[in-house]
Formats: sequence, structure tokens, C-alpha cells
Amino acid sequence: MRWGMVIDLKRCVGCQTCTIACKQEHGLPAETFWRFVADCEVGEYPNVRRLFLPMQCMHCANPPCVPVCPTGASRQRSDGIVFVDYAQCVGCGYCALACPYRARHLIHEAQWYFPGGPTPSEAATAEPERRGVMTKCTFCLNRVDAGLADGLKPGEDAAATPMCSVACIANAIYFGDLDDPESRVSRLRKDRTGVQLLPECGTDPSVYYLTD
Amino acid sequence: MTTERIPVYCYQCVAGPDLLKVVVRDGIAVGVEPNSDFAEIHPACGKVCVRAYALIQKLYNPNRIKTPMRRTNPKKARTEDPGWVEISWDEALDLLTERLKGIRAKGLLDESGYPRLAATFGSGGIAPAYLGTFAAFLAAWGPVDQGIGSGQGVKCYHSEHLYGEFWHRAFTVAADVPRCDYVLSFGYNGDASGGVTGVFRHAEARVRGLTWVQIEPHLSITGAGAARWVPIRPKTDAAVLLALLHVILHETDWRRTCDVPFLESMTNSPYLVGPHGYYLRDPESGKPLVWDLDRDRPVPFDDPRLTSPALEGKFLAAGVEVGADNERWSVAEAVRPAFSLLLHHVLPYTPEWAETVADVPAATIRRMAREYLEHANVGGTIEVEGTTLPHRPVAVLLGKTVTNGWGGYECCWARTVMSALVGALEVPGGILGTTVRLNRPAVNRLDSVKPGPDGFMAQPLNPTSREKWQGQPHIRNAYRTLVPLAGDSPWSAALGPAHLPWLFMDSPPEHWPAPTLPDVWIIYRTNPAISNWETGRIEADLERFPFIAAFAYTQDETNWYADLLLPEATDLESLQLYRIGGTKYIEQYWDHMGFALRQPVTAPPYDTRDITDIATELARRCGLSKEYIAAVNRGAGVGVALRGEGYDYALDPAAAPDAPEIWDRVCRAATRSLTAGKEERDLEWFKTHGAFFVPFSEKRYYLHAAMKAHGLRYELPYQERIKRMGAELANRLHERGITWWDVQLQEYQPLPAWKDFPDIWAKVAVKHGRRPEEFPLWLLTSRSMQYSWGANVSLPILADVARHVMGHFGLMLNRGTAKRLGIEEGDLVEIESPTGRTRGHAILREGVRPDVAVALQQFGHWATPVARDFDMPSLNQVAAMDLDLTDATGSGADVVKVAVRRAESPHPTQTMPLTSSPLPCGERQGEGRERMKGEGGVRRASR
Repeated sequence: MRWGMVIDLKRCVGCQTCTIACKQEHGLPAETFWRFVADCEVGEYPNVRRLFLPMQCMHCANPPCVPVCPTGASRQRSDGIVFVDYAQCVGCGYCALACPYRARHLIHEAQWYFPGGPTPSEAATAEPERRGVMTKCTFCLNRVDAGLADGLKPGEDAAATPMCSVACIANAIYFGDLDDPESRVSRLRKDRTGVQLLPECGTDPSVYYLTD
Repeated sequence: MTTERIPVYCYQCVAGPDLLKVVVRDGIAVGVEPNSDFAEIHPACGKVCVRAYALIQKLYNPNRIKTPMRRTNPKKARTEDPGWVEISWDEALDLLTERLKGIRAKGLLDESGYPRLAATFGSGGIAPAYLGTFAAFLAAWGPVDQGIGSGQGVKCYHSEHLYGEFWHRAFTVAADVPRCDYVLSFGYNGDASGGVTGVFRHAEARVRGLTWVQIEPHLSITGAGAARWVPIRPKTDAAVLLALLHVILHETDWRRTCDVPFLESMTNSPYLVGPHGYYLRDPESGKPLVWDLDRDRPVPFDDPRLTSPALEGKFLAAGVEVGADNERWSVAEAVRPAFSLLLHHVLPYTPEWAETVADVPAATIRRMAREYLEHANVGGTIEVEGTTLPHRPVAVLLGKTVTNGWGGYECCWARTVMSALVGALEVPGGILGTTVRLNRPAVNRLDSVKPGPDGFMAQPLNPTSREKWQGQPHIRNAYRTLVPLAGDSPWSAALGPAHLPWLFMDSPPEHWPAPTLPDVWIIYRTNPAISNWETGRIEADLERFPFIAAFAYTQDETNWYADLLLPEATDLESLQLYRIGGTKYIEQYWDHMGFALRQPVTAPPYDTRDITDIATELARRCGLSKEYIAAVNRGAGVGVALRGEGYDYALDPAAAPDAPEIWDRVCRAATRSLTAGKEERDLEWFKTHGAFFVPFSEKRYYLHAAMKAHGLRYELPYQERIKRMGAELANRLHERGITWWDVQLQEYQPLPAWKDFPDIWAKVAVKHGRRPEEFPLWLLTSRSMQYSWGANVSLPILADVARHVMGHFGLMLNRGTAKRLGIEEGDLVEIESPTGRTRGHAILREGVRPDVAVALQQFGHWATPVARDFDMPSLNQVAAMDLDLTDATGSGADVVKVAVRRAESPHPTQTMPLTSSPLPCGERQGEGRERMKGEGGVRRASR
């Protein structure tokens, strides 16, 4: 079992629906993004291409963020999900420096969208234990775990699937078991030659991109 | 902990509505989810876009207007604090009622014949999805001027709306993307503005193999996903489209590459045209004649024995021509079919010529034409629900600034003719209309097809005859008087030249009614001080409005001038049932149709009121309850009559129903109407289930069958009726001594020709005593999905995520151009037009033509919380509101010739037009920014 994502760049339009859905799902404060879509240009006028590249934690098979953690807060589950145990994290930032994908975000303090304090929805979704610690995309492990417990199949049943995938209006984000050759993510990765980001880093990301 | 998931709809852009669920935890709305209950029905699997997720913040936004407010400072100016004081709803409605009763006492029309009550609804056609029964109140009232524009003439697809509906019931034109293989998109930015359905379908099609070619001056969101980007000089799209017609008709054997049977039988291509430019008609029947090659003589177009109509050649024929005002000419000479005139018309428009105009290589134009024909599949068919229909998987789409303002007619015509040439009009794979707004019934395009004169569809045109022309404008934008194509439907007021009321307020033209202001102006979800052209001028006019009642979400730039702020319950706080599915706007064509409910998801956090309850109460206070209830019973504002065949849920005229009672009856009537009276669902059912659907046949997407059934032809390529209406309109105006509309009258051409459209904008400089070469760049705008239509600029979470999309929070410039101008990334630059000046921070890109600058959306706020900290330049601040930039349909285009230079001041400065006073409330520069930090928000994106 290795949870992973396949992101179809041919579909993505950079709308940031996944970005905002992620922020809402996890009650992230202003200016913190566990994922976002980079808007890039390649080439020179008039031979230029614009492309959208969703960025997030790659849940690497060989995550460089894990061994550098001095407290053991950064860990990897047996299903491949890399996560931070907030109770053990001291917010030192080593892991952020080690991550070649800039996918880790230290939340220094509560930061609300309006200065008068949290709105009722912000107050209801805030997670105080995240202050002063390193945070990152969790592949929505709460949804995955709860879904599995309910007999649902992550990647197929919305309630068991990461929110970015559920929300994507272009159906560009697929989630599933990379170890299952029959899963949709495995088939897409194989049929359309999914590529990993920065393979030279040797991290073996669990996020693959389809480019053609 | 209790968690509920409450179904509602989102219609924050015209490409909706879409369905969602709001997650409510212990009474607090905490999240938005797609409504997967309708994954099999909604074309995009029940998903909603980025803006819908911000609805939670929209609900709890602490910067909202939280209770009714009354202005205490009688002086109105940007520098005058309105002096708002909180009042109760009772006091607020008393105040408004007093004004309204004053109007009824004086008379509903003023001395110029204009309604004393005016109402403006913004947001590009989506206001009805949030207006509750307010339209019924207006219907009960009597004459209301709904033509004081909020920017629609310059912001929407104006020419496409009017000409599209005229030619093929296509108020909006869409590609049949699921069945299309090749798209030529002239600036159509559907991946930013086509809604969830558009994005979803485009993505599916790209993976399937659809080839999308994007022709536009800057590489937009949609261009990013295209197979190729073709940079084009602004406002020259018509040149390339005419050249594409040239290649198809003169560089290929059109008899082989085009759909000749379609042209012969379903267009006016064979109609003979006389020397005066009108159809040659049978003297007895008055019917247009065609040349029958079999019998070698002219016959009426509907002669049952006609099998070989001539499309080309010259034929000696006798008949009559009927011109403007029934002027008749007897003709007996050599005449040509309309198609032959088309061939002659496009002959000069070679790709080499177009290259010099549009800066698009001739070889690229030829390649596009060749690929278009290769994909057209002329002669091919497809099965749709058991019926064989033509399959023409090619489409030409047009975007903003292409479909509005000068050149819009030419582009819309050339695009539609391109479709007609290969029979790709209203058939699977081709282009199709999704909306009718000028014809009836509005909910069924096919039923709106009715036989009219000369073998074409009947059209609800405003009359131009001497006897019937309405020379006295009945509202301030004069659509009945000046724009025959605008028709006279409930939507027409918004489709006329909606900026003319502003344009004429200071200096009315000759022989025109005095420019009176409405005694009361009600505004709803509209902010013309931001969204119209020449916003400083709008503000100057707003200072003089005697009484403005504004339904207000936050303080904004227009309601700064209001006398009364009414905080109506917003999206997640109020109740409304709305029609969904079928075919509708942009790319909304579904295989179901129905109704969806919007409902309060939690207790409203502030002292807001459902607009349906406001309407009911206003009607009662004005003594109009009986008329108001009658209007609701007719379906005004609620979308369905409460009394129909087999059901009667009509309200008692003596009743004062609350919103739930009204909408419960609407729910029941709506479901009965959808099911021929068989099924009924009440409000409680909708609250749980969210929406009710019945199947909608895909065959109803295409007008083809209805046209065939009626034996009708598309009025293409020749525009005899347009030529005649233009000539008659000219006669009428000249009879009144009006010559200031003469330039617009030149648009009424039977075969539209290229004009030097870019020069129209260049001449603005001369008019203002400047030289055109002082303004070498084109300033354009482009839609942002995060901000388009929804008026969500005060929501910091949208700014937070929009930072990742290029172009937000700055002015996009070509990197080479910037280097030449000494501008570096992030520099503060000044943007100057002949009529205004603004500032913004430079964002350097390769995907922008060297002669172009792009400012997304329309910002430039100075009063709206959060948005006024954006430091964003707005095209509207520097665009001149000018009759010279107004076309015959009354629309303009979002293009301005500008100069861009590095600003001397190193610090960000509040943007402003030259004609505006400097800063609100006597603030000095910088103070506003400091204050904003007390209102929340997100700082400008790092560059």
C-alpha cells in the first residue's frame, strides 16, 4: 500500500479551487498553503508556453524531511503518508530546509483573515496545536483513515479522498494506491508516463505529473 | 458535535448555477463541498469553483454592512464622509417608502418622460438568482428605468448577444465541446470565465484530443491549455476572420470543402440581390427570388420544385426590390445570389493583407483555415438519442473585446458565416446558442423558433418604420429608439447602450430629452463607480443623484454616495428557488433541467433581511400589495407561474406572505410545471434534497431540427434586414435632426467590411489634444476566475489564493517592452491614457505582446474594505466614455491606448482618474493603507 497522486497537467487550469478547498478543509490561516498551483511561463515571446503546476508535499518514498528531524516528529506511515506529530515538533525548521519541494510551512502564530479576531468559522476550524510547529499536506489522512474505517475506497469515494482531488473542477487530481497495478493512479501513471518532480534528488515522490 | 450538510446553489457567475453543500458544524458554517448527490446530473459532477468556497467568509465577513444605515451628511463627494448612522429596518423602510410615495404623488414619469424610479442590478445577469421577489415589486410599481448601466455594455459580449440571438437564438454562443474536435478561439477565455462546466468539459476534451488554437494579444488562462497561441494585435480579429473566409472561399474549392446543401437550403446564400442591395422579390408574392438552374429562371425561395438554386453567377432577372420605408424599385437586369456577393466581398481580404493588419503570419492564417476544413467533417453525421444529425466538430469562439464594441459585428458575422459555410451551425460539434433573452419563451430555445418573413425566424425587433418607431425614449438608455436589435424583452433595458445615461447626464446631444436624474435610484449588487468606464465621471454624476437606496454588502465606491444602505441577506442566508439546467448561458447545456434551492444554512450573523420579505413589505407600505401578489402569481421574479394546468398555488391578493410561504408555493408550482402536473415537492423537500430534475433531451441543444421542422433558413450570410433597419433608423433620426448617431448607422451593412478599428481608439488622443504616438500601448483587461462577477473583492481569502495566478495585483507587461522602458519587475508604473492616469506595479511576462499591457478584472477600489488595499490599476479608470467608441448596438470594448512609464514616486499610491477628487474623507496618501490593516486582508502578493 502506497498512497499517491497523479496530477494531469493537461487538465489543470490553475484556478486554485484545490488551494482554497485545502485551506478550508484544514482551517489553514491566511498566507499558509499546504498546496497551491504555480503559474509558470516557459520560453520567450512569441514562443512561450504557460503552464500550471500544482505544488504540495510529495509524500516521498525517501523523504529527506524525516531523517533530519531532531525529535522524530516528522514520520512516514507504512502507507507512505509523511506527517508531522505536532506534539513532538519543536518548530526548528530543519525539515523545511531539507525539503526540495518547499512543502513545509511553519505556523508561528494564529493569523486570522480579519484583525478583530477569528470569524466564527475560523474559530470553529482552528487547530491550536498547529501553532509553533511545522505543518504540511497530510494527503488528508483523516479523510483517508475515516473512509477506510467506514469501508470506503480512497480515490473512488469522495468522503475518503483528499479534498483537493474532490474539489478539482477539471478532474486533474487523482488519488489512490500506487502499489495496486489496477488502481486508476497506477494505470494513468503507466499509460501516460507520469513523471516525478526533481527525480535527481532521489526522493521518489508519490506525486506524479502527466504532461501529455 | 452535530454536523449537517445543507444543499444550496451558487450563482456567483453567469456560467452557473452550480450545486454545493455547506458543512455546518454546531450551527456554524465551516465549509463548502461539491454536491455529489448530483454527480450524475451536473455536467461537472456537482463541483463548484474557487469562489463558492469563499461563501463562508462572505457570510461571516466582519466588514459587512450589519444593519440598515442612513446618510447624515447631505454633501456627496469622495471627500465627504457619508456620516452613516445605524437605523432599524422599520426606519429604513419608512425612509424609502416615503420617497417612493412621493413619486407616486408626483407621477411615475418626469418632465422628460423618464421613470422617476430607476433600478440597476449588476453582476452580468446573475442578480435574478438572488433578487427573490423584488422583480415582482418592480412589476407592481409600473415604469422603472432599468437602463442606467453598471458597465454591461462595455463588459459583456454585447454584439454577440444581439447578433447571435438574431441569427441563431444565441444570446450566448458556445462550442459543443463534448462533440467538437477543433476550436479557433479569438480571445474566448472560458477556462477563467466559462464556469465549472466549461472548465470540466474543456479538460475532458483536451485529453480526448481536441485541438484548441487561441488567438489573442496575451496568453490567457485558456490560452495556457491551448495547442497553440497566436498573438494578435488588439482589435484586428475581424481582419483575420475575413482572411479565413477568403482562404476557405478563394483558396480552396468551396464546392468541395463547404456544405453546399446546407448553404442552398438553410441559408439565404441563393437569394438574388438587386442593384440597391435588397433582395430581388417576386412582384406578386413579395417573396425573395432565387435562380433555379434546372429551369433557368428565378423562382420564389420556397418554390417546392426548386432543387438547384444557384449560389454563384450573374442572372438576368426581373422583380422588385423593397428598401427602407417601403421604397420600391422595379428591376430587370443582371443580379447575383447573395453567396456570389459574399465571394466578391471577401476577395480582397487575403492572408497577406491580414498579416499587415493583425500581425498574424499569412501562413498561420492558411494553416488555421486548412485545419478548420479538415476537421469540419462535411457530410458526416452522428447519432444523438437515436436521431441522425449532421456532425460538424469545428467551432469559432469569440471573447471579450472581440464580441463587443467596434468590430464586434464584423467578428460575430464572420464567425457565424464560417460556421454556416461548413454547416456547423446549431448541429452537434459546431457552435450553438445556449440562451435566449430577447425572444420568448426564454426557457426553451427551440420553442422560440417561429416563422418570420422571407423564410427566416421571426425577430422581436424594435420598429424603425415612420409609424411605429419610438422617437421618444422611454428610459434613459433609449434602446427602443436607437437599437432595433435590442428588442423589447424584460432584458432589453440592460442590453441597450447602458452607458448613454451617464454619457448624456452632463451634456445631452442635440434634439434629445433633457437628462433628468431619477428621483429614487435603487441599486443591487452593482458598483458602476468601479465597473463602468471613466469611473471618475461616474462619481461626479453620483454626487447629484437625489436619493440612492443601495442594497449593500459592504461599503463600496458607489454606495458611498447612497442615502440608505439596506443589508439584504446574502447567498447563504436567504431563500430562493431558481431554474437550473437545460441550456443556459456560456456552456451550460445539461441533459437534465429543474429547479434548485438556495436556503439559509445558519442563523444570520447580522441584522440582515431576506430580500423577498423586503419586497413584500415595501409593496405593502406603498399600497401595492395586490399588484405585487398578482405579479408573484404570474411568476415575476420567481421563475414560474403559481397557477398552471392542473395546479393552483396562487397567493391570496389580500395576504402578506413571508418568504417561506411564497417559496413553498413556488416549489410546488415548479415541480408541477416540470412534470405536467404529476409530481409535487414542497419547500421542506427541497431543503433536504436541494434540487429537482427531469430529463432534458440533448437534441434540444441544437436548433437544427426546429429550423427544419419550420422549413426556415438562417439569415446568413447576407444581412438585408439589417441594411433596411439601418436605413430606416437613419431616416427617423435625420427627420428629427439627429446626426450624432450617424457613425453608428454605418454598422448596418449587409456584408460587413473591414474598417480600421484600431484607428478609432488611436483617434481618442487627437480628440483630447494629444498625439496618437504618445500612447503606443494597448491596455487590455482579462477575466480572473477568482474575482469575475461575484463582487467578492472584499473577501481576503480570495486575494490569498489569487496571489498564485499571474496578473493579480499588478500590470502585466511584455518583458522586452519593459526593458526598453526601463521598467523592472515590481516597479511602480504610471499608466496614462488621453483621459486618465493610474498606477500599478509591473509584472513582467513573455506571454504578452510587446504592444500590450494587461490589467486583470476591474479594481481601483478606494472604499471597499480589503480591495482598497490592492493597489491594482483598473482599465476603467483610464477608459474614455465616448460616443465615438460606441458601436451601433450601444456597446464598447475594454481597450484603451496608453503610455506606460516608471512612476517617479517610489511608494504605492491610490490610483485615480484625472477627473476625480483625491482621496476619501480627507485622507492623505498612505493613511488608507494603514487603516486597511485594521480591516483585515492580505497584503499584495510578493513579486
